[in-house]
Amino acid sequence: MNETIITTRALTKIFQLNKHQVPALRGVDLEVRQGEFLAVVGPSGSGKTTFLNLVGALDVPTSGELTVLGKRVAELSRRARAELRLRSLGFVFQAYNLVPVLTALENVEFVLELQSVGRERHARATQVLDELGLGDLANRRPNEMSGGQQQRVAVARAVAARPKLVLADEPTANLDGENAETLMHMMRDLRDRHGMTFVFSTHDPRVVTHAVRVVTLADGRVVRDEEKSGEAPHEILPGVGRPPGPASA
Amino acid sequence: MAWVSAKYAVRSVGRNARRTALAILGIAIGCALALFMESINRGRDELFARMGAYSGAGHLRVVPKDWDQQRDPRLRLADWRADLAAARALSGIAAVTVRARAQVLLAMGTHVVPVEMVGVDPENEPRTFRFVRKVQRGRYLLPGEQGTVLVGKAIAERLGADLDDEILASAVGKGGTIESAMLRIVGIVTTGSDDIDAGICQTSLDDVERLSDLAGAGEVTVILRDWRQTDAARALLAARVARGDRVLTWGEISPEFKGHIEQDKAASRFISVIILLIVLLGVASAQLASVLERRREFAVLSAVGMGAGRMVRLVLLEAVTLGFAGAVLGLALGLPFVWRVATVGLDFRRYMGSGYAFQGVIIEPIFYGDFGVWIVPYVLAVAFGATIVASLYPAWFAARTDPAVALRVAQ
Repeated sequence: MNETIITTRALTKIFQLNKHQVPALRGVDLEVRQGEFLAVVGPSGSGKTTFLNLVGALDVPTSGELTVLGKRVAELSRRARAELRLRSLGFVFQAYNLVPVLTALENVEFVLELQSVGRERHARATQVLDELGLGDLANRRPNEMSGGQQQRVAVARAVAARPKLVLADEPTANLDGENAETLMHMMRDLRDRHGMTFVFSTHDPRVVTHAVRVVTLADGRVVRDEEKSGEAPHEILPGVGRPPGPASA
Repeated sequence: MAWVSAKYAVRSVGRNARRTALAILGIAIGCALALFMESINRGRDELFARMGAYSGAGHLRVVPKDWDQQRDPRLRLADWRADLAAARALSGIAAVTVRARAQVLLAMGTHVVPVEMVGVDPENEPRTFRFVRKVQRGRYLLPGEQGTVLVGKAIAERLGADLDDEILASAVGKGGTIESAMLRIVGIVTTGSDDIDAGICQTSLDDVERLSDLAGAGEVTVILRDWRQTDAARALLAARVARGDRVLTWGEISPEFKGHIEQDKAASRFISVIILLIVLLGVASAQLASVLERRREFAVLSAVGMGAGRMVRLVLLEAVTLGFAGAVLGLALGLPFVWRVATVGLDFRRYMGSGYAFQGVIIEPIFYGDFGVWIVPYVLAVAFGATIVASLYPAWFAARTDPAVALRVAQ
């Protein structure tokens, strides 16, 4: 049995908007084990992004319990939360959010630099890009790449430091069908090969089919938690998700 | 700061070319103005120190014990020959002379003028007292000569005396007796200032000794080749003068003049600070706008684990980049002006005439700026200091970005 890396108990988040209190999560109970490939689905305003922000230690819960990788998020200082994100979490955003003045390679290197990776930083960043079939894009800046390419570089950035948990907020929302498929294959392949846990939110039913477990939120509550029995084998698209080198037969 | 972060900071400066160009221009103009003011200040320091020193005060003066409290011209040095030898033994000396002073009444016919008569060493006095270098009428005193006197034009006019006239000098001697001597006017000096002319009355040391009935000299005045060495030379000389005698700097000898200089400097530094404050606010505004525009980006950097300290350093590195560009442009703009002011000078003759006198010193109407190796570090320090201070708030603002809020707003 894989270790539990996320635990929530009666997790609640209420936002204060002017004089009004707006509950975004109303008591979420959930456990996520290492190596899961989990989709959080639900309509707009159901609390998906809030849930990911809390799990990603970007925000703190109003009440309830949230433990991520053995750390109780509510008890962590701002600095400790930043450290948790830096050392153990990877993020993929809907709008890619690459640093526009850096090349693809530098965007990946940046995260490694933040982790104080020294001399091997450049080689490791290059290796990650190659591994994800993005070697040709290494010296391009975000404005010289398509949306799909940018999002794949964003995934490379998120996984470069081999985090235990990768959180992706609507990663395919701005991508066409083909790019969305490619991205999901890439993420699933990373999970299969490196044992990373992926938790992603989505609206897209095609994306949901790739998930091994689907948690449905509605109005800030978990209304369905569905684990697929037996993982459907996924096809690795040509040129994506294979390590560099001669293609195997 | 690591390499990719440095690239990020440097390239971020170029994102909004127009704003960056304006910010750099603002820093450059601020640097150039600050450089100009500093050059004038330093030049004026040198000018005033020189004018003060050569107006009789010297850079250093050996005086009798308690002279600085009493300022009594009758006080004499404990051993003026030992003090003179100690002063001459110092390195970096341009000139050394001895003087003795006495309060005397000059009289000719029915006219009487009270003056402070100075007994001098005619050989060295013109090297330390610039007003007697050029004698408009007659000549200067000769070494070994006695019974002669050099006076300022104002004294001669008040006495109704002219060259070769004999005037009576009377003073109260040590025992309360009246001592007097007939002195022949050999030279009349015109400085351009009545105040100064009315204070010039020089004769030989022997004549002053006789009139005052006091032996020896009352001061040893030292002119240094480099006025910046005043404090160091003072320390050296103080250890070597005769027991009981003291060494004062020109600022201590003429505290009013020194105070006037300090007041002047403070005024121009205040103007520099105002200029820099305006530049600082401009840079702060530009940097804050730049940070606000990138709020989502800072949120992402925070999300991937960039800590507050690193984010502050990132914004400050951008500021340093701006500051460096501003400093280079500031040097390009300011150097020609500073060079001109250092070589041609700022000419105030239209407003000051040939100068004005203050506390026995004639202020020359042409001010020269200073030009030296200090310029580059000074401009860099001003530019970096201003941009870093201006960027502290934007940097703090960036570091306080709440990633969840910023990303939510962006979406």
